[in-house]
Amino acid sequence: MPKILSADKLDNCIERWKSSGNTVIGPVRKSNISAYRPVEKASEFELDIVLPDLSIKELFFPQTEPILKYAIRKQAIDTTEFLPPSGKRIVFGARPCDASGVAIDDPLFGWDYRDEYWFQRRNETVIVSIACVKADDFCMCTSLNLAPDSTMGSDILLRPINGGKGWLVEEITDRGRDAFASIADLLQESTESPVPPAAVPEKFNLEACVEWLKNPENFESRFWKEISVRCIGCASCTYLCPTCHCFDIQDEGDTYSGIRRKNWDSCSFALFTMHTSGHNPRSTQSARWRQRIMHKFNYFPGKFSLNKCSGCGRCSRQCPVDMGITETLQEISKLLP
Amino acid sequence: MKEHNHHSHQNIYKPAVMKIVARHDEAPGVKTMRLEFQDPADHELFRENYRTGMFGLYGIYGEGESTFCVASPETRKDYIECTFRQSGRVTSALANSDIGDLITFRGPYGNRFPIEDFYGKNLLFIAGGIALPPTRSVIWSCLDQRDKFGKVTIVYGARTVADLVYKHELEEWEKRDDVDLVLTVDPGGETPDWKNKVGFVPTVLEQAAPSPENCVAVLCGPPIMIKFTLVSLKKLGFEERNVYTTLENRMKCGVGKCGRCNVGSVYVCKEGPVFTAEEVSRMPAADL
Repeated sequence: MPKILSADKLDNCIERWKSSGNTVIGPVRKSNISAYRPVEKASEFELDIVLPDLSIKELFFPQTEPILKYAIRKQAIDTTEFLPPSGKRIVFGARPCDASGVAIDDPLFGWDYRDEYWFQRRNETVIVSIACVKADDFCMCTSLNLAPDSTMGSDILLRPINGGKGWLVEEITDRGRDAFASIADLLQESTESPVPPAAVPEKFNLEACVEWLKNPENFESRFWKEISVRCIGCASCTYLCPTCHCFDIQDEGDTYSGIRRKNWDSCSFALFTMHTSGHNPRSTQSARWRQRIMHKFNYFPGKFSLNKCSGCGRCSRQCPVDMGITETLQEISKLLP
Repeated sequence: MKEHNHHSHQNIYKPAVMKIVARHDEAPGVKTMRLEFQDPADHELFRENYRTGMFGLYGIYGEGESTFCVASPETRKDYIECTFRQSGRVTSALANSDIGDLITFRGPYGNRFPIEDFYGKNLLFIAGGIALPPTRSVIWSCLDQRDKFGKVTIVYGARTVADLVYKHELEEWEKRDDVDLVLTVDPGGETPDWKNKVGFVPTVLEQAAPSPENCVAVLCGPPIMIKFTLVSLKKLGFEERNVYTTLENRMKCGVGKCGRCNVGSVYVCKEGPVFTAEEVSRMPAADL
């Protein structure tokens, strides 16, 4: 019989998970920004939202990550590596688009050279997603062949039951099963049916748009200039995106001692690709926006058979000039025969 | 064409420490350094993995890392030689480093020139200015096993006589009977005692007219030179698939993660830096 996790048992779950060494993380609003943050008790969660403002990405790929500490001595360089932090974590109340966003980046961080900063955290984190019963005008998972109740990237999928009393438990992975085995006695058998997932209308026909993107004739189409003329290159879209992974490596300190860090970077910035000679392969904002769209829907799928977008819609929702992925692909749709 | 060492369970961003054991001024602002590994384990990995054409990230803590080729051949792996122009923050710091100083190296990364495929063929090397270093790595990799290849022709040009790099090696190649060396400088770049050609590389190449018959061309240079030299090679009858070149883009990670070096769908750091002209022609020109 299906099991439900009752909302009033959530505090017991958190306690149980914490006592077995887990950090429990979930959507929390602080300074009016909702993000995935550690909690002590269930009341800190803000689950009744469409999705957190900030994506889940930073739990696996922080804005800034120390790689190593260096100290230069006369005849030696002393380095101390910062190992990927270890520690079991349970993310409760992730959105399916965030969970799939993380899974989309696994092949990128793993092809040939494994980024252990990413995988250490991936291996120690259980993602418990809650299927969306609310959506807004920016949500577009269904246009990406995903859904408000997708299981991609989730270890457990919870489906809300009527009246906000709790969630129907769907175990997806062994890792999820293990995490829920420890709270098995807190679950109840139930025949209750879940609230249907939110209706997210299809915003664009992805396959048709991808065909257009793949046509080499369109690489230098006027379209790119027209769509991105209002882009101010602020990079909000890339920072908020659960799948954007571009980064920089920078030294903080001087030539005697300091810390080498891996920091978020963005393809929206002119400096991102600028050669020392001054030559810049992506010298205009339109070339940079084209790169972002091409990378997400043409290049990345070509390499890893995954769209590099999970449809969370943050790029459009937070864009100061209203030109996210949805707007772009909708405009491309208008150019289709 | 791909060979990779799977660096599992180790920090892929941690560089090896190298000691500068020799240092040479090549041309105004251009230096060559010979580097030796300090940790035998790092050296062993390099010996196992390095093939001509691969690149590395050379660095100084506090300044950062800079990407350029390994200029020494795969037939000489006791050390790494690199040649660079002092132009940015990292290369300036490197240029100011002295013999005995320690710097860092990450690599070797990327693909390589498939020189086994060149066995029995005539080789035409064409380089411009500071792009002789990647070419020189292939040249010596082939000359160190000279009997495996046919005729070897090297066409090298720079803006001025002073800008020619590896002058001592140019002399050595000049003297060899088994190498045809064609040297040129751009019009106005000659000195009164300059006895070689005056003219741009594509023009000089067309005059030298090497036969495309059973010949592979390796072409490295600034983008503008590559563009016009490809036209000349075509005129001479070379097929694009027999012309190899390298792309150089800004890189930070070198291992296909940081997202900045791609040209179209190609990650230069992993699928390159060595490409045939045919492969390059399929890339979006506006992204180069």
